[in-house]
Amino acid sequence: MVEILEKIYGMTAIGNFVEQPLYIVMILLAFVLLYLGIKKEFEPLLLVPIAFGVLIANFPGGGMGVYAALDTTYNGVLYHNAVTFPDGSLWCDANGIPYNIYEVGLPLIAHDLGIMNYLYYALIKSGLLPPIIFMGVGALTDFGPMLRNLKLAIFGAGAQFGIFAVLIVASQFFTMQEAGSLAIIGGADGPTAIFTTLKLAPHMLGPIAIAAYSYMALVPVIIPLVVKLTCRESELKINMREQDKLFPNKQEFKNLRVLKILFPIAVTAIVAIIVPDAVALVGMLMFGNLIKEIGNNTSRLFNAASNGIMNAATIFLGLCVGATMTVDAFLNWQTIMIVAGGFCAFGFSIFGGIMLVKIMNFFSKKKINPLIGATGLSAVPMASRVANEIALKYDPRNHVLNYCMSSNVAGVIGSAVAAGILIKFLG
Amino acid sequence: MEKLFESLQLMVIGLTTVFSVLLLVIYLGKGLIALVNKIAPEEEKPKAVANNVSASNVVDPNVAQAINMAISQLTAGKSQATKIERI
Repeated sequence: MVEILEKIYGMTAIGNFVEQPLYIVMILLAFVLLYLGIKKEFEPLLLVPIAFGVLIANFPGGGMGVYAALDTTYNGVLYHNAVTFPDGSLWCDANGIPYNIYEVGLPLIAHDLGIMNYLYYALIKSGLLPPIIFMGVGALTDFGPMLRNLKLAIFGAGAQFGIFAVLIVASQFFTMQEAGSLAIIGGADGPTAIFTTLKLAPHMLGPIAIAAYSYMALVPVIIPLVVKLTCRESELKINMREQDKLFPNKQEFKNLRVLKILFPIAVTAIVAIIVPDAVALVGMLMFGNLIKEIGNNTSRLFNAASNGIMNAATIFLGLCVGATMTVDAFLNWQTIMIVAGGFCAFGFSIFGGIMLVKIMNFFSKKKINPLIGATGLSAVPMASRVANEIALKYDPRNHVLNYCMSSNVAGVIGSAVAAGILIKFLG
Repeated sequence: MEKLFESLQLMVIGLTTVFSVLLLVIYLGKGLIALVNKIAPEEEKPKAVANNVSASNVVDPNVAQAINMAISQLTAGKSQATKIERI
């Protein structure tokens, strides 16, 4: 009888919870993330899959956690990209030699490490899903507001300041690759953060993805906070339409449709020449946008990119990223540093955009509302909506949404270019 | 110290490149606007699809008759369909 009970006890995960109570902490974290995604509606499309990935990865014995592939010394010999199990043993072949995970086939990964590792190494580690999500983002993006207010697009560059400012500080505590991965959170773009981390410091993927998406969800809190600390009321009351009347834009659009078709093609070419490492992201973003702008002839591609493909990619990305957050990978001091550093990167990026507006206002007769600088982040369109609400609070007639969308969309390009630079120099 | 220098260098390179790319995008956009205004100034009118839509909305007379008969039967002849539209 005792033997049977022992067998049942051994079959369940209860024994593992007793041995390693930190599993419970991770499961509680998954519950908190699920609560934020479902009840508080913080980026639910991504936070719910990520949270569920965390949940299923942290039931010991379930085999759903993703194993990091790290260079490991075993019996005095260095093995590249070896997988270490939670009990400290290595994933080895029949001769007891640790596998290099990139030299084995996916079926073996699925068989030995489980289906989640198969998905992770096939879809995420290969770098496949972030560009596919960028294609969907492109299909859902309208470059019209940016083309109508082209000059405002420059604030998409100012708001990348946080990335490089945090890189300087983070480099004192992390390796340059890890610091670059942490700093890219300042771009406020989840797929970009994931793509960069995969290239530079894949072992930090879980916490960085969580930090990036959490701060994107907290845009309605962070932007007002930074704006309050850095802007005067008189600046926030600058009415863009009145400024347009005082200093009219001479640009005339005779054929916006053709312009919108040519624009993504031309931008891809420019970015490909200057920062080839950013083409995976910017190219796919612009391809998604192109099939949207062509219209009826490519409507089936547009529907696939913006619905089916994007939704499937989002599910697998979320689940796999969540599954990387196991006890060993998440509960350490690095995660706390990532959360703190990510917040600083985010805040400094907003600050950088606002400061650029202030500098330009100092030299220009035509004044710009600093909220347009604050939206140089790539969190589209939430940052613009938040900025518009702030502007309306100070002046109910001051609708800045269209102007903010210009810098906001430019921020998507800006953060992808910044990611390309980090990958080029640190990868 | 070496890392500090490297990250400072990256900041200068990174911000300069991002600014340059977006400046190029701005001027490229302006150039494209001028080009499109010159070579393709007329926006193509969307093909008239209204007629097709209304044509597809026309309900087959046999179907209309069947619907009317059904309504008549259900309401004991008190009601009849005045307009039948395809949804």
